[in-house]
Amino acid sequence: MKITQQEGKRKSLNEALITIAALLILLALPSLTGSQKIMDFVIFAAAYGVLATALNLLIGYTGLISFGHAMFFASGAYSFGALMQSETTSVPIAIVLTLIITATIAAVIGAICVRLSEIYFAFLTLAFQMFFHSVLLSWVEVTGGDNGLLGGIPTPVFFGINLAQAGTKYAFCVSLAILSIYLLRRIVTSHFGYTLRMIRDNERRAIFLGVNVFLTKLICFTLSAVFASIGGIILALFISGAYPDFAFWTTSGEAIFMVMLGGVNNFLGPLVGAILLTGLNDLVVHYTNHFGLFLGSIILLFALVLKKGILDFLDPVLENLLNKKIKTPNDTSEVENSDA
Amino acid sequence: MTHKSKLLDRRQFLATSVSAATLLASPAILQAKKSDTIKIGMPTILSGVVSILGESSRAGAQLMIDEFNKNGGLNGRPLELITRDSRAKPEEAVKAVRDLVNGEGCKIIIDAEASSGSFAVQEAIRELGVLCLHTVSEATPLSADPKLRVPTAFRSARQGIHDAIGGGAYAAAISREKGLKRWATCSPDYAYGRTTTAEFMEFAKHFNGDIEVIGQVWPKLFQPDFTEVVTKLLQLKPDAMYSALWGGDLVSFVDQSNLYALFGQMEAFAVNLGDYPVLTAVENLPDGIRSGSRYNKKIPDTPENSDFYDRYVEKNKVLPTNWSWENATAMSFIIEALKDVGSADNPLKLAESIKGRKIKSPFGVDGTLTMRSEDNTLVGYAVGYGITTKKEPFMKDFQTTAWDQIFELETKWKKRKGYL
Repeated sequence: MKITQQEGKRKSLNEALITIAALLILLALPSLTGSQKIMDFVIFAAAYGVLATALNLLIGYTGLISFGHAMFFASGAYSFGALMQSETTSVPIAIVLTLIITATIAAVIGAICVRLSEIYFAFLTLAFQMFFHSVLLSWVEVTGGDNGLLGGIPTPVFFGINLAQAGTKYAFCVSLAILSIYLLRRIVTSHFGYTLRMIRDNERRAIFLGVNVFLTKLICFTLSAVFASIGGIILALFISGAYPDFAFWTTSGEAIFMVMLGGVNNFLGPLVGAILLTGLNDLVVHYTNHFGLFLGSIILLFALVLKKGILDFLDPVLENLLNKKIKTPNDTSEVENSDA
Repeated sequence: MTHKSKLLDRRQFLATSVSAATLLASPAILQAKKSDTIKIGMPTILSGVVSILGESSRAGAQLMIDEFNKNGGLNGRPLELITRDSRAKPEEAVKAVRDLVNGEGCKIIIDAEASSGSFAVQEAIRELGVLCLHTVSEATPLSADPKLRVPTAFRSARQGIHDAIGGGAYAAAISREKGLKRWATCSPDYAYGRTTTAEFMEFAKHFNGDIEVIGQVWPKLFQPDFTEVVTKLLQLKPDAMYSALWGGDLVSFVDQSNLYALFGQMEAFAVNLGDYPVLTAVENLPDGIRSGSRYNKKIPDTPENSDFYDRYVEKNKVLPTNWSWENATAMSFIIEALKDVGSADNPLKLAESIKGRKIKSPFGVDGTLTMRSEDNTLVGYAVGYGITTKKEPFMKDFQTTAWDQIFELETKWKKRKGYL
């Protein structure tokens, strides 16, 4: 189906409006509920939501299953935390520097990893992650070793914004998350995003069409890492610290599970997965210590019954209800109109 | 056919109104009843390989709470302990603390987390401003480093440097007596293992300049097979060996070392061996291993300590651990502060009440424990070393380190570290 340029612009405008509406709703949430607990939950879910959505750029859109994305999540938290602790930078500069640091690390690691595919790619990313985790544990003078970055993360006032205030921190973290997700959305609906789908679906065809597959994958890997590090920054701000656990393989596993839980073929799937998993975590630990048992049961349920993520499952249902096609990463109908 | 009127008569109207009002008001009534309780939150590790840490922490605190509630609570207001499993993840510990404070309304936190979790919780406490007692972390900087200190946070746990000074003095004396010059170490490969080992050997050398470390092995945390570690130690042929292994790792190490008769070939110092769960889990506990003080009903050998042991065992049907007394102590300080201030509403007042407070305690070497005001940390507990025996009470010839000596060397150490 060919979509006109006008329709494309209208869709882009709609997405921008939806993003603004989502941001306004989230910013109004504390006033509406008056609950600090809900604010805490939103920040925590936002951090993991950004990580999972960034990871899906590789998994869902490029067909590269990374087992090591927690390394970039940790890179964001540690770089930002260490820069702020050095008391030489302001928050915005520290964020920019963090993104540059993560992009550099990701470009180097990606240049090695994206030459491989499937299980070889997955294991190589896992290997790099465990190496990164070992560095965090061993380089005690800089990273604090097992104890993490000690002493909290100072956040001096910038442009009149004081992140030491709970409400301001909430608004900042939520804005950062929404902006990241919006930018990721722009990426996946751009020409670049559709090139990623083409590589995922038929790499050989992409090569024949003149696509520099290596470079495209590397850019995707780096972009995905940069956004994952924004998730790390949000979590570091929330807990005022950074810990080696952030870079452990279990964090990558949780992120993959979030993607699978929410739906790999829907842009918002990973975000939904992150909200569900963190919400479930909150609920389960409230009543029992058997978190693993519940999580395992849910994984079984999805693996044996649904066989797909929630939004992937709901997509056709909603489509029938609305009688309207819903855009998925598999949908290449907009390729001719992409304007981002 | 007659139709019943759909209108309510007066009686029905009154009955319905009362029922509806009761139903609608019940959350408020329950809330009012609930609000009478003083809630104390405890983030801890209740699942995984070290769940015993959380279980015995909870049991230690709950014992004191139950006894306080039985005696009427705080002017009729009972204490309630709410626990959250952090699964040993610092970010979960922080989230749990925030949930306990913001969601459950806890004004007091007992942080029964391992070290990395405790450092994370400390930062959450800095922001939330509630009263907090760290009850498990032995990492010295938590209270020694002034940059990390928080006015409303205290530590009612052992501190690594105190054990290191006591252990170093003891090791030096035994070394001199038996001519143990060549030492090896075998400690877990993470921050606690490395810092504790370094501090122990630093003070052993301080007291006895002849001591020399000829080799160190660093097994991974929770590694199942210690064969390579044991054979490496045997190859080194040291006169003595120090280990900061703990819990299941220490049980595995001792059991596997027995197969090689390691303990017959060198003098062994294991700071964490003297805890009941470890002592009772080792299949064939060798006589003569030197262990640091953890919890033992004979250390100090007083009726009060034996009484605590009996009460704990009667209630929980398991033996107390080092974490049990540390958490029971935290609750004792909290209870004294609550009695002093009269409510839990003002964390700063509670903190002022705890700062520098001396309480009667079965775990103090002189029957008291003090929350030192300079650095919000516990002093006066039993520090020293004894020798293991196969049967209860599992420890003999316990030598207590004098606190005057600990204070003197701790001050010098803090100056060297730049903490003073």
